[in-house]
Amino acid sequence: MKARNGKFFSRGVHFRDMKFISKDCPIRRLEAPAVASIALQQHIGKPAAPVVAVGDSVKCGQLIAKADGFVSANVYSSVAGKVIAIEKRANPRGGMDTHVVINRDLDADDSFVPLEPLKEKTKETIIARIAEAGIVGMGGAGFPTFIKLSPKTPVDTLIINAAECEPYLTCDYRLMVEQTDKLVEGFRLIAKALGVNHIIVGVEKNKPDAISLFEKYDDLDVVILRKRYPMGSEKHLIYCCTGRRVPPGKLPADAGCVVQNVATSYAVYEAVELNKPLFERVVTVSGQCVENPANLIVRFGTSFDFILEKCGGIKGDIGMIIDGGPMMGATMLSTDYYTRKTDSGLLLLPASEVSLSNPTPCISCGSCARVCPMHLMPMDIDFYTQAGDYIMAKERGGVLNCIECGSCAYVCPASRALVQSIQLCKQKLREMK
Amino acid sequence: MEKVIVSDSPHIRGKRTTRGIMLDVVIALLPAAVMGCVFFGTDALVTILISVAASVATEFVYSLCLKKKPIEIIKSFDFTSVVTGLLLAMCLPSHVKWYVPLISAIFSIAVVKMLFGGTGKNIVNPAITGRVFAFIAFQSMMVSGWVAPTIAALDGNVATGATELTSILGGNGASVSLLDMFLGTGMMGCIGETCKLALLIGGIYLVVRKVIKWQFPVIYIVVEGFVAVCLAKFDFAQFLPSILSGGLFLGAIFMATDYVTSPNSTAGNYVYFIALGVLTAVLRAATKIEVVSFVILLMNLLVPLINAYIRPRPFGAPGLVERIRAKIEAKKAAKAAKEEGGKQ
Repeated sequence: MKARNGKFFSRGVHFRDMKFISKDCPIRRLEAPAVASIALQQHIGKPAAPVVAVGDSVKCGQLIAKADGFVSANVYSSVAGKVIAIEKRANPRGGMDTHVVINRDLDADDSFVPLEPLKEKTKETIIARIAEAGIVGMGGAGFPTFIKLSPKTPVDTLIINAAECEPYLTCDYRLMVEQTDKLVEGFRLIAKALGVNHIIVGVEKNKPDAISLFEKYDDLDVVILRKRYPMGSEKHLIYCCTGRRVPPGKLPADAGCVVQNVATSYAVYEAVELNKPLFERVVTVSGQCVENPANLIVRFGTSFDFILEKCGGIKGDIGMIIDGGPMMGATMLSTDYYTRKTDSGLLLLPASEVSLSNPTPCISCGSCARVCPMHLMPMDIDFYTQAGDYIMAKERGGVLNCIECGSCAYVCPASRALVQSIQLCKQKLREMK
Repeated sequence: MEKVIVSDSPHIRGKRTTRGIMLDVVIALLPAAVMGCVFFGTDALVTILISVAASVATEFVYSLCLKKKPIEIIKSFDFTSVVTGLLLAMCLPSHVKWYVPLISAIFSIAVVKMLFGGTGKNIVNPAITGRVFAFIAFQSMMVSGWVAPTIAALDGNVATGATELTSILGGNGASVSLLDMFLGTGMMGCIGETCKLALLIGGIYLVVRKVIKWQFPVIYIVVEGFVAVCLAKFDFAQFLPSILSGGLFLGAIFMATDYVTSPNSTAGNYVYFIALGVLTAVLRAATKIEVVSFVILLMNLLVPLINAYIRPRPFGAPGLVERIRAKIEAKKAAKAAKEEGGKQ
């Protein structure tokens, strides 16, 4: 269908998207690492429970940890080899997770063991397959997808989040231009699982080739979005694509919409059509300090060291290593961490590109309130959080509505650590309950 | 592996800093300051220099008393004290004795700003409060003895005695033409407030640099003008003299828009600036003196109240109309349920 323009969204921030670094690098497959260290918690919810023991031989695509509880996800082996350890290792977000460490058998076949083929593709079987394949939201949140596909309220629209508003990242963009057919098939499968006919694809204006490719499909309603961060936020994407507003504290389903990410849709296609469990994804390796920027298919558990080595290593003076995008990603101490389902990028930036929070007193300029996409008062949240009055931060600042996009901290002239204040406040409010 | 930075998100930030904003304000004030020096000669220059130097020095000494290291104080210098000193000098007459800007500047910085916690913590505008302090402490100098500018009015009439505004408010009518009022030629007043053109240029610079929103000073000035017209029994000839004669431009563009002492939300700012306009016109008519600084001081004190009650509605939250409608519907439903219960 002919693309149409999305609704105007005035808040948020605008910056150079820096996508040119890796935009034209075709997706290529990274070879399997000698050792894969697969985390059991790659999603929101309870960590998966391991079903293998140290010393077991596993095949690629074999279940190694089973979803534990309702909000959890299966984890599959990404290489064929022997389990040499199940131990706590650091994750890029600063915590410790249990990892299953698999020593790859160098002679073994790298192709995966397929899941049992689906006899028929109905709503229930597709959702069951998505749960079985361990698919989670691959945009960064890592919420198990099958739960999102069984909303409690009736929905009539599926929105595909193809905004990719974080600077530098191009993994979704490459999937869109290279695997359009498969991706659209993935959209249709998700729509079928939801029982909806209306599929909206929201693409930011800076990806014109993706827009023209999607326009060729008659069942897709392509929406051109203004280039603005955070366009990929669910609530704003829904507003720009449909004009509906999700009330505070409510889920997208309450506005009759379900939002899915591009990478997730591709994983759904692979799980349903190719019977492939989720054990790899496209990761953007970018930044001014990478010798050869690339978009790589990386098996989960591959260390960032290995990825970097295969991309030619570090170029120039490195300032910061980021897991994810520069707005919401986490900085890493080194590249000695392992890829997970939610990792969309590995960025190596020089010190001149990044900026640190070096707080000076707030001058109440109101910039944060002007850019806040949720129409909150970040300066009030910061003020009350610093004073330890979390209840007031909730009432005056509306901290619980915050999506932690970081727009406020981006514009803050006093470079205050607003996002951290907000996170602290939310944490304290949770503890008070 | 080399050393890398580990910090909290976001990892990229805008280029704007507090220091940059304050420098922009200083630059925007320069045209008016230069015109002040042109009109009122070296007296004006000396007043400005004393005021700025005293402000910066006071901040430095106060920080030293707080046991900060000199190098740290210099590193964290953010030009706010320069802005305060400059603004204070702009709203003093040129003929005041040297100790007036000195004492007022020390009062502005030490009492109004630093005692409350320094940059961003003051509850009222330091420059305005400094001027009000000077007005009360050195009243004779502040209200009389105005000096005519060295550049005479275009039509040759140079007024002596009272400032333009007090003469208009006193019912004597304007003694210089509107163009003179706009350019500041042949017009008496404080150092920075006479040349409206220079203030306007500074204001446009601030708007272009996105330091202030153009709507706010415009609202203040226009509302003041209209209320003045209404109070003068709809004599529209009063509009331009009323807005051009006093310190309204200086107050509206540079004083009232001060971030720290104005409301945080956009809606709150609209309320704040409309209230400023109305109060200025009403109090001018009632007291027959220039009240811009007093009105801004008064409204500064009401800002916490505005901040408490005028807040943006979170994205997606129901608007006022929807909320009222929902309430009415809930009431109706309750009534219907009651009637139902009564029937049974």
